[in-house]
Amino acid sequence: MDTLHLLDTFNLLPFAELEVGHHLYWHLGNLKVHGQVFITSWFVIAVLILASLAATRSIQRIPTGMQNLMEYALEFIRDLARTQIGEKEYRAWVPFVGTLLLFIFLSNWSGALIPWRIIKLPEGELAAPTSDINTTVAFALLTSLAYFYAGFKKKGLGYFGNYVQPEPIMLPFKIIEDFTKPLSLSFRLFGNILADELVVAVLVLLVPLFVPLPVMVLGLFTSAIQALIFATLASAYIGEAMEDHGHEGEGHEEHS
Amino acid sequence: MQWTIFLAAETAKEGGLFDLDATLPLMALQFLLLVVVLNVVFYKPLSKAIDDRSEYIRVNQSEAQERLTKAETLAKQYEQQLVESRRKSQAIIATAQADATKLASQKLMEAQQEAQVQREQAQRELDQQKQHALRSLEEQVDSLSNQILEKLLGQVPG
Repeated sequence: MDTLHLLDTFNLLPFAELEVGHHLYWHLGNLKVHGQVFITSWFVIAVLILASLAATRSIQRIPTGMQNLMEYALEFIRDLARTQIGEKEYRAWVPFVGTLLLFIFLSNWSGALIPWRIIKLPEGELAAPTSDINTTVAFALLTSLAYFYAGFKKKGLGYFGNYVQPEPIMLPFKIIEDFTKPLSLSFRLFGNILADELVVAVLVLLVPLFVPLPVMVLGLFTSAIQALIFATLASAYIGEAMEDHGHEGEGHEEHS
Repeated sequence: MQWTIFLAAETAKEGGLFDLDATLPLMALQFLLLVVVLNVVFYKPLSKAIDDRSEYIRVNQSEAQERLTKAETLAKQYEQQLVESRRKSQAIIATAQADATKLASQKLMEAQQEAQVQREQAQRELDQQKQHALRSLEEQVDSLSNQILEKLLGQVPG
């Protein structure tokens, strides 16, 4: 898929242009990587680390400023992990789930709020790291690994018992689920963020002033929701993998 | 921006939306590194801060609760003591009053008895004197009647 040829005609306008599927390739040995993804992700990582350092520079009993904000974020993450994974096991998973949430959230919002396109690249353009399929697939696969790891660590080989719960007839569906989980995770995030950026870009292309604003606000909303969904589902999968089947009748978290 | 130093831009022969390449594992690695780094600079210290704070609040609250119960027991104790001393004072007053009345009635009775005794004595003396008087009167009557009789009899023979 190259540029959207349909829109080439609009490129006469000086305001904006659309580029989809163009990447800035860096070569590492004989590997190729998407440079624009890494540039924005480094920005997001830098923001996260700087914010953390600012928050923990001098920890007070009565928090103020940055510490307050980051503690709010951390409490939110802990609540999320606790409700999805359970009181006993959630603490070990807070860093993973929390970093997923924070990184995806900041990526999405940086894509929505920061006019990356002002910075010209030789090829491709800067955008939210989450609008690249590599990023989302990476996170989704990490989530899969995480829940397998959680399940095997908790139950050993007994984890395979999950596949025949509550009925052995569930076995094929459960196996399929292992593939659909990362697939749906990655494509949901990728699709939402890319679609949002495209909608905004197309609207800016057509009507440069004011009209795209509501869509941009909606984009902020979707971006936040997508980050929350990704983190919630990841922790739900982890919680599900560690769930005890000793007592029946507990509802499973279904993915949306 | 001097990115071009690092960049080797390539004509986008390949590419497209679903272009999976080495970005994927590198991003995963980078993410795991971020998890580790954030665990050190963010999750651990702030979790500790939050836990310490809730522990501090919990301890303080339980201490305050303890002090409150202690104060309440003390207040109750004082109240009980107050009630007891009030009851004691009332009892003292009551005994004193009872003693006083008993003493008064005793004294009254004694006085009455004494008065009775004295009256009886006086009565007895009176009776004695009356009898004495009556007897002497009788004697006088006797002697007088004798004298009269003698006089009468003496004249007759004489």
